[in-house]
Amino acid sequence: MTYTSFLKSECLVLWRRKYDIFNALLFFIMVVVLFPLGVNASPEFLAPAAGGIIWCAAVLAILMSIESMFKEDYSDGSLEQLVVSGLSLPLLVLIKISLQWVAVIFPLLVMMPLLSEMLYLSSGIFWVLVVTLIIGTPSLFLIGAIGSALTVSIKQGGVLLMLLILPFYLPVIIFATSAIQTAQSGLPYSGLLALLLAISLLFLVVSPFMTAISIKASVN
Amino acid sequence: MQSPAFLTISDLWIERGERVLCKGLNFNVSVGEIVRVLGDNGAGKSSLLKVIAGVIPSLEGCIYYFGQDITQDHSRLQQDTLYIGHLSGVKNMLTVEENLRWHCPDVTTDKLHSTLSILGLLPLLSTSIKSLSAGQVRRVALSRLWIQRKKLWLLDEPFVSLDAEGVAILESHMKQHVVAGGVVILTTHQALTSIHSRDIDLLS
Ligand SMILES: Nc1ncnc2c1ncn2[C@@H]1O[C@H](COP(=O)(O)OP(=O)(O)OP(=O)(O)O)[C@@H](O)[C@H]1O
Ligand SMILES: [Mg+2]
Repeated sequence: MTYTSFLKSECLVLWRRKYDIFNALLFFIMVVVLFPLGVNASPEFLAPAAGGIIWCAAVLAILMSIESMFKEDYSDGSLEQLVVSGLSLPLLVLIKISLQWVAVIFPLLVMMPLLSEMLYLSSGIFWVLVVTLIIGTPSLFLIGAIGSALTVSIKQGGVLLMLLILPFYLPVIIFATSAIQTAQSGLPYSGLLALLLAISLLFLVVSPFMTAISIKASVN
Repeated sequence: MQSPAFLTISDLWIERGERVLCKGLNFNVSVGEIVRVLGDNGAGKSSLLKVIAGVIPSLEGCIYYFGQDITQDHSRLQQDTLYIGHLSGVKNMLTVEENLRWHCPDVTTDKLHSTLSILGLLPLLSTSIKSLSAGQVRRVALSRLWIQRKKLWLLDEPFVSLDAEGVAILESHMKQHVVAGGVVILTTHQALTSIHSRDIDLLS
């Protein structure tokens, strides 16, 4: 096994499993569409709330897609093969997380213009939203991968996973939505973006190693 | 001075879930040997192979690879090792060819085809693993033994779900491997028919 052959096989598996990602995205769209219908569809309410709605829906969709990240690899023994491959496990993990991020976030961003139109988001704020998604969501995947690797050997690991990682998601959600709200009130918001970026960079360094340790504990 | 053995296991203790499985296990493996690990169900055969492969850590003791201590960092041994455990390590979503190219990207198409025809898998080249039978999946996993050039084979019950013909093919390939200077460590509950092995008994 080499890093490139691993990358190729992961891309193929993602492509074959595209309906899983499609489901998560469909869920995302449904939350964003149903929310205004259920609460209040007036622009005065929706425009300020739009950032929060989109971010919460995105977090739920990401949780859905991340839960099963290592499930299949665990049950068919590929995870074991990664451990004994002699390659660096953190690097393999990082490749896998990055691919998963691209596969979920890219279609999400493509849908964003339409959704923000529905929520009456002005075009200036739209770009702030896109930036928070691009620099904020990597940390969600990186944190989620640790939890997913830790709970992969547990039958009903899904709920446990939520409990484990939601506390770590909160700061990201708070900083991202307050960056959008700050921008809406015309105040400088670059500090909040910097915080988001800092969280992502921190987990970019920490998460591959912690995920690798969790994987080793799980294949035990 | 005698050159160091291929693999030396010295004073190895293995613990699984509060149970100690091996207490001070010692043995040497030299080049060209087939070693069969024996023991009852639950004696710790799979655990021993996993410790050597570096999947799980040992409680105590050392493993030497050509005299070099690799207990802490298995990567040097792992580069020369092919480990096939109870789980086959092939991905359900991929086809036979894609799986093998994942494990060994530098295999030539000729080599791939000749291997698969030895194992009777050639017609299944682009079939998805999830539509194969258990024995066929096992054959796909084992075909890495033909394609990847590794010195040490760690095989955990490789004969499970193989038919008589498959067992014969695998045994003769193991024989070729050790004649060429390779090493095989395997566990199996059935007797080897055509090859001679050294047995190591794990008493439970
Ligand atoms: N993941 C695990 N966690 C805790 N204990 C385990 C785990 N896997 C196996 N064990 C225990 O370790 C012991 C040895 O298991 P192992 O799989 O090594 O046995 P084995 O000799 O390969 O048996 P078999 O012939 O059935 O394959 C068993 O008693 C089992 O209960
Ligand atoms: Mg076993």
